[in-house]
Amino acid sequence: MSKRTLPRILQTPSVLLLLVWMLVPLSMTLYFSFIRYVLNSSIRPEWTTPALSNWRGLGNYKYVLDAKDFWFAIQNSVLIVSSILIITVVLGLGIAVLINRNFPGRGIVRVLLISPFFVMPAVNAVLWINMILDPVLGLQGLAVDGLNSLIDGLRDFPILGWFFNLWPVLEPISFRATQTSAYAVIMMVAWQWTPFAVLIFMTSLQSEDESQKEAATLDGASPWSQFINLTVPHLARPIAIVVMIQSIFHLSLYAEIEIVSRGNGNKNLPYLIGEFTSNNIGAASATGIFAVILANIIAIFLLRMVGKTLMD
Amino acid sequence: MAGLTLRDVRKSYGATQVMHGVDLDIEDGEFVVFVGPSGCGKSTLLRMIAGLEEITSGSVCIGDTEVNQVAASKRGVAMVFQTYALYPHMTVYKNMAFGLKQAKTDPAEIDRRVKAAAEILQITDYLDRSPRNLSGGQRQRVAIGRAIVRDPEVFLFDEPLSNLDAALRVQTRLEIARLHERLETTMIYVTHDQVEAMTLADKIVVLRDGRVEQVGSPIELYERPRNAFVAQFIGSPKMNFFDADELTSEAAGVLGRAADANVQIGLRPEHMIPTATGAVVEGKLELVENLGEYALVHLITAKGTEFIAKTEKPPSQAKGEMIGFTIKPELAHAFDKTTGLRLVE
Ligand SMILES: Nc1ncnc2c1ncn2[C@@H]1O[C@H](COP(=O)(O)OP(=O)(O)OP(=O)(O)O)[C@@H](O)[C@H]1O
Ligand SMILES: [Mg+2]
Repeated sequence: MSKRTLPRILQTPSVLLLLVWMLVPLSMTLYFSFIRYVLNSSIRPEWTTPALSNWRGLGNYKYVLDAKDFWFAIQNSVLIVSSILIITVVLGLGIAVLINRNFPGRGIVRVLLISPFFVMPAVNAVLWINMILDPVLGLQGLAVDGLNSLIDGLRDFPILGWFFNLWPVLEPISFRATQTSAYAVIMMVAWQWTPFAVLIFMTSLQSEDESQKEAATLDGASPWSQFINLTVPHLARPIAIVVMIQSIFHLSLYAEIEIVSRGNGNKNLPYLIGEFTSNNIGAASATGIFAVILANIIAIFLLRMVGKTLMD
Repeated sequence: MAGLTLRDVRKSYGATQVMHGVDLDIEDGEFVVFVGPSGCGKSTLLRMIAGLEEITSGSVCIGDTEVNQVAASKRGVAMVFQTYALYPHMTVYKNMAFGLKQAKTDPAEIDRRVKAAAEILQITDYLDRSPRNLSGGQRQRVAIGRAIVRDPEVFLFDEPLSNLDAALRVQTRLEIARLHERLETTMIYVTHDQVEAMTLADKIVVLRDGRVEQVGSPIELYERPRNAFVAQFIGSPKMNFFDADELTSEAAGVLGRAADANVQIGLRPEHMIPTATGAVVEGKLELVENLGEYALVHLITAKGTEFIAKTEKPPSQAKGEMIGFTIKPELAHAFDKTTGLRLVE
């Protein structure tokens, strides 16, 4: 036996397991996406069992492409993922830099900052949509009410009252509505995932070389210039990691969308798949293949980006 | 170009005071070296001059202006760090240009100055490289180049050679000496290494526990140390110290002074001459280190004090035998045993 054979043999089971794990669902999805397959049909009962005789060719794909929500779901997927990424990275950088210094109570502040990350996604969504964003009972409703009555009070003010009379009565925003439900999802997920970014950036900040900053201070660089020229390049790799991990997670957001508006005005690809799955498995599978393609396109971009920062 | 004046400079971290009032005058163009044991405050003092560390009290003047409240970048100082502190994500060129860019200097002028500094330090070939692709010595030169480009009034070096290997250290030391000759700028240099101190300095400042022990030219410190601490700190191997009762009966005659119990006699190893008659001090031979060029002879007195003599040839005596040493009287030092101060002849 050559030196290589034994390790190969020992690796085989796990490699096979991984292959099966990956290939079986993928090929089943592919197969279903080319046949007519529904869960329930009184007119065509033969479609309820998957069989090659129900071959539909690219029909499922055409059906999905023509479905009114498909392009909207893709757009929305990209909107949600990229907004969350931008918000978490920017906020994460800011907070990490702010708490990366000594102040009394630093330990407690750090634990509090990390804690949103340990809330379950569904719980997070329920809390946000009911307790914070609800236009009547949530913090938002209370805040808008408070502002309105404050302005109302000021209207009776002598001399200056006319100025406040020009102000309109503020209307609370309903985040379950068609146009705004995506923003609600973005807000709550960004809130939950910012701590993740903070955590990763903070560990990285601690390995930053102090004397480089001192050299920059002597070179006349302002704190902002030091942040841009030294800290951000130093954090390039952790930023790439945060972006990659979060994209993987947020492309498959589901619970938040379901809870906020049941997909009303706000769908992404997983949610669309979920809707098709209620009956049309063929269309759901075709959508799943589109989701795989979208994920791959994004992954290629990200791998390029991460690869580049890891190279230099 | 400017000199420096430090007046009663103190530094405290919270309740702990680490600098206890330093007074120092540095002439324009002088090469000053701070030496002292680890933790004595060399870096702290340097960083206070640079503006990286707040001055608790006292005043630091560069030229005629007090700079206590002046921002680090406006003091006209440039610093070379022990760890080089190059900006890792910029090329050598950008590293050197960074300070000028922050000052919004004209790009053509930046280019001229960077190229000129690169020329002096012979790093023109590496300008487009990233610091991580340079050797330690090359990085050190880039760090020095970054300081030169800013055309400072005062250069500050904090143990710039301690990360280099021995051969490179000697070479870079010579380059720094040449650089000082060429630029004629005031330089302040912190080191542990007394060879660096002795060879580079116009003026050495010996620090201990946040206080200046002595300021003077290398030769002054070597020949007339102000106290026992400076005496044993400058010179290698260290000066030997003997109590009066360890000296022979002939010692008073040879040295020209009668030593009493309150006096410590200091004899440098390189000044001790083995002798058969008229010895000042005697010791039992313990160990000989023969370095070819010279030998280091380790001995121990009857009272148990270890001492070293540096002789041209290894001694003919065998281990355990007694050897006597004499010395030229003008090369012997005497210190007060309680205060450590030099006793003036
Ligand atoms: N941030 C700080 N807080 C408290 N004490 C400090 C701080 N920085 C330095 N010190 C103390 O100040 C003293 C002087 O330190 P400094 O770094 O200047 O020593 P040094 O002479 O440069 O030593 P070395 O040769 O080891 O570099 C030391 O006793 C050190 O413990
Ligand atoms: Mg130091």
